[in-house]
Amino acid sequence: MLAILRDLLRYNAEFRIGLLLVGIVVVLAALSFASPYPPLDVYVVPPDLPPSWAYPFGTTSRGQDVFWQLTVAIRNTLAFGIAVALLSRVLSLAIGLFSGYKGGWIDRVLMSINDTFIVLPLFPILVLFYFVMRDRMTWAMLALIMACLGWAYDARLIRSVAMSLKTREFTQTSIFSGMTTREILMREHLPYVMPIVFSTTMNNMNWSIGLEVTLSVLGFTDINTPTIGGMIFWANQHTAMVAGVWWWFAFPVAVVVMAFVGLFLLAVSMNEYIDPRSRLRRMGGAAG
Amino acid sequence: MSAPVPAVPSAAAAAAPVPAAPVLSVQDLKAYYRTRYFGVTRDVRAVDGVSFEVRAGEIYGLAGESSSGKTTLIKAIAGAIRPPLEVVGGTMTFSFLPGSPGLHRASPAEVAGIRWRHLSYIMQGSMNVLNPVRRVKHSFDDFAFRHMGLARSAFWAEVEAHLARVDLDPSVLAAYPHELSGGMRQRVTIALATLCRPEFVIADEPTTALDVLVQKTVLGMIRSVQREIGSSLLFVTHDMGVHAALTDRLAIMYAGRLAEEGRTAEIFARPRHPYTRHLVGSLPRIGDASERKSLDGTPPNLADPPPGCRFHPRCPLAMDVCRREQPAMIADGPDHRVACFAVHPQSEGHP
Repeated sequence: MLAILRDLLRYNAEFRIGLLLVGIVVVLAALSFASPYPPLDVYVVPPDLPPSWAYPFGTTSRGQDVFWQLTVAIRNTLAFGIAVALLSRVLSLAIGLFSGYKGGWIDRVLMSINDTFIVLPLFPILVLFYFVMRDRMTWAMLALIMACLGWAYDARLIRSVAMSLKTREFTQTSIFSGMTTREILMREHLPYVMPIVFSTTMNNMNWSIGLEVTLSVLGFTDINTPTIGGMIFWANQHTAMVAGVWWWFAFPVAVVVMAFVGLFLLAVSMNEYIDPRSRLRRMGGAAG
Repeated sequence: MSAPVPAVPSAAAAAAPVPAAPVLSVQDLKAYYRTRYFGVTRDVRAVDGVSFEVRAGEIYGLAGESSSGKTTLIKAIAGAIRPPLEVVGGTMTFSFLPGSPGLHRASPAEVAGIRWRHLSYIMQGSMNVLNPVRRVKHSFDDFAFRHMGLARSAFWAEVEAHLARVDLDPSVLAAYPHELSGGMRQRVTIALATLCRPEFVIADEPTTALDVLVQKTVLGMIRSVQREIGSSLLFVTHDMGVHAALTDRLAIMYAGRLAEEGRTAEIFARPRHPYTRHLVGSLPRIGDASERKSLDGTPPNLADPPPGCRFHPRCPLAMDVCRREQPAMIADGPDHRVACFAVHPQSEGHP
């Protein structure tokens, strides 16, 4: 594992840049624990100050320090992305592996559910959820809903690999040796699909963070939990763009773009690592 | 190992003229691939009325071309039956499972108790028996540990001792399968299959993917391990050279039925069945420059086999009776059986 990381660092520029960007974002998020102000308090600093040494990212019209506010916001946004990605990974792994391995009517039933989720228009449904639940729509609830909506594509991907694994000799031997379905899936097939899962995790985080930011910019989420989208929402509420308080939305946008690009590059380089042909080419191995 | 090795006669006994008790006795086995589409049942008769015995301590060879039903036969014997394959008739009696018609009728608990401990299966393409993303030791752990009934440390000691029998260093346990050569992987597979000292091992073309030199080593190893643990081996391959080198007795399969069975040396020296004669005649001999004739035609479609003897459309000796009736397996000399009207004209009317 360490050798893989070392090789990726040495030979893969995308991985280096991605790691750097994600690293900066993670450090920012970690700084939130050192924040001198409670994240929800307003008018703790003079409002509308441009970036300076005292307030590196300026202050908002609500009297909050943009820098410290941003650290909390990016922490919540990242945690949201990770929570959605982990929950939906569990779903897509369980359904994909089981469906591909079992085949037959189990596969048909699970995949018709899967296809239903793939064609559902997500955004209107999420807005609908907000209008139905209103104040009960918490951060955790939104993560749960998005995880339930975000597993379908990857379940199909994992199913396709599981279908191939099912016919391999080692699976036949596992069956012959009397391993149960659960044991075969957990011990023989799960390690095989893990690299694919790593790669899709990053993309899934990007997807969920993107949707979360979109929803909060429009105010369709719990606006009292500071997130990147929430910050932009409040900036819009205070017409920051017209008032010239550009630092209020420019820094959150910059940080979330950094997180996006970083995660995307990590996913791309991870893909390149998983495909041995592109890995060899990058390392100057095979001629092609 | 302290696990009880059943009262299997030693290799010397198997070579003795007195036939030992059979480990496996197959009677009139019929295994079809049965599909039902829109109410129409269609059978592919991959194994159709096969009877033979595998004696304790012997290596029993099963030869036949592709699609002659070899793999179906051993799948049925090993109980590795998945739809659409069905055992539609006949029995398979194991010495370690008396009174049962075969693993396809055994309860899951019975099957679990028998596999690996009494019956083990080296699969076709067994180079890939090891999971490519897990270390070799995990394969041993997953597949064999539950059947050994040993404590962890005793289990690993036994694994290492057993690996030494196939000339492997214990360090292969820490390797991934792709780090081993083809021959090493094959030896790991053999070690894995014979770890519990089963009475009966089925090997389905275990050396087909290896080159001739490695094949020779691996075959020698299979033989020595089989002798050492005293198990019976059902060895399946289309490679007649391998059969000549390894097996004690040999059965020739054609289109889902046995054509001939006998001691390997006898089959090679004096083949009776016209198909066997062609098969043996096709083997190259050094110094013999005569042209090898190939048989016209192809093996029959097993969904719609020809009536009578299944070989008759290609048989140079085909007679009228061959088109009407199925020849029975009839003894011809000691330890030899053949199913052919040309060999046994008197067998007419006794299908």
